[in-house]
Amino acid sequence: MASEVNTAANSSAIPEISREELRRRLHDSSLAIVDVLPQESYASAHIPGALNLPLEMVAARARELLPDFAAEIAVYCGKFT
Amino acid sequence: MLHDLGYSNVRHYRGGIADWVESGEPTESVTATASEPDPAAATPAGPPLAASPSGEIGRGPARLSRMRQLDNSVLDLVQRRSTLQLFLIWIGTILLSGSCYWLGALIGDHGLVEGGRPVGADLKGFASAVYFSFVTATSIGYGDIVPVGGARVIAIAEAVTALLVFGAVVAKFVSHRQEELVSEIHRVTFDERLDRVETNLHLVISEILSIASMCEAKAPLNRISTRLESAALLFLGELRTTRDLLYQPRLMVEEGVLAAILATLASALSVLSDLLASLPPEFSRSQPFMITLDRLTALAQEICGECVPHTYTPRLVFWMDRIQATARQIK
Repeated sequence: MASEVNTAANSSAIPEISREELRRRLHDSSLAIVDVLPQESYASAHIPGALNLPLEMVAARARELLPDFAAEIAVYCGKFT
Repeated sequence: MLHDLGYSNVRHYRGGIADWVESGEPTESVTATASEPDPAAATPAGPPLAASPSGEIGRGPARLSRMRQLDNSVLDLVQRRSTLQLFLIWIGTILLSGSCYWLGALIGDHGLVEGGRPVGADLKGFASAVYFSFVTATSIGYGDIVPVGGARVIAIAEAVTALLVFGAVVAKFVSHRQEELVSEIHRVTFDERLDRVETNLHLVISEILSIASMCEAKAPLNRISTRLESAALLFLGELRTTRDLLYQPRLMVEEGVLAAILATLASALSVLSDLLASLPPEFSRSQPFMITLDRLTALAQEICGECVPHTYTPRLVFWMDRIQATARQIK
């Protein structure tokens, strides 16, 4: 699994998750998928099983939605960033 | 960002939703009928932001949150009831259970037994049932009357419920006294603070006036400057307290007290304005003094009848507007 974690070559220090792994583990309860887009966007389309945690609410709601600090989390937003 | 909050195992799906959709992967959407997340919902620990119904991933946190919600609503329920109401609920539980035992006797083998004989479904039997209900609810359990059959289930449910409700009654009773005490302490310290605001404002006025007389007596400018700086700092502190008082009133302040403070504040501002106008031209304002003065006028201009979030009596509004007008004149 660690092999699939390829750290972004450029600036970002956050490791990446590939689409393949995401699809494979869609029903794996040990991986939490988090949609950091606004609620409207989440409402229109999101990856199945994803939680919605809009960026501006991360600080306020993160503890509630993601109680486990060590949990595997995959975050995504809208564009190719 | 999640990293900063302490999450250690975060990974980023760089493609985002756009890449996901482009590659033809399925998505989910929230229809209008589903409980949509509403940030303005009344519940403080609101529902989870729409975890998907089918996704395994969403379920853990969602369930946790729902439990917390239930927890909160139960606590809210207890919070809203008065001690008397809770006590009546307790009595009601006992009477209801008593009736159940009595009805159980009507059905047959599901009632109470006293000394080997079933308790009858008559008036005397009802009294016995209520008596047993009290003994059970208070968890005394003499054992002179015992439940049989279905009555056992009711007895256990009653014991648990009544104990919880009674606990709530006691907790409410105790916390009520405590809340009273805390608010009393708050009030006393608050009154003292109000007194001090007024005293300090008077001090500021007399200080400014004495600085003004120093100016007339052609005292050294550096001495004037030092005293003016400290007076302005003291003034700023009290002004901030007054402003906070108007913007976030924690306790109701008597109109008379507030009017006295505002009037003193207005006259302090006007003597300050006069003094600044009459300062000799060779007086140079130091940097810290300029900053203090800026903050002072900015704060004072926030005080006016229409800017404060509450409506006050015309007398108070008059003083507030006066403060704002005077602050605008300060240069």
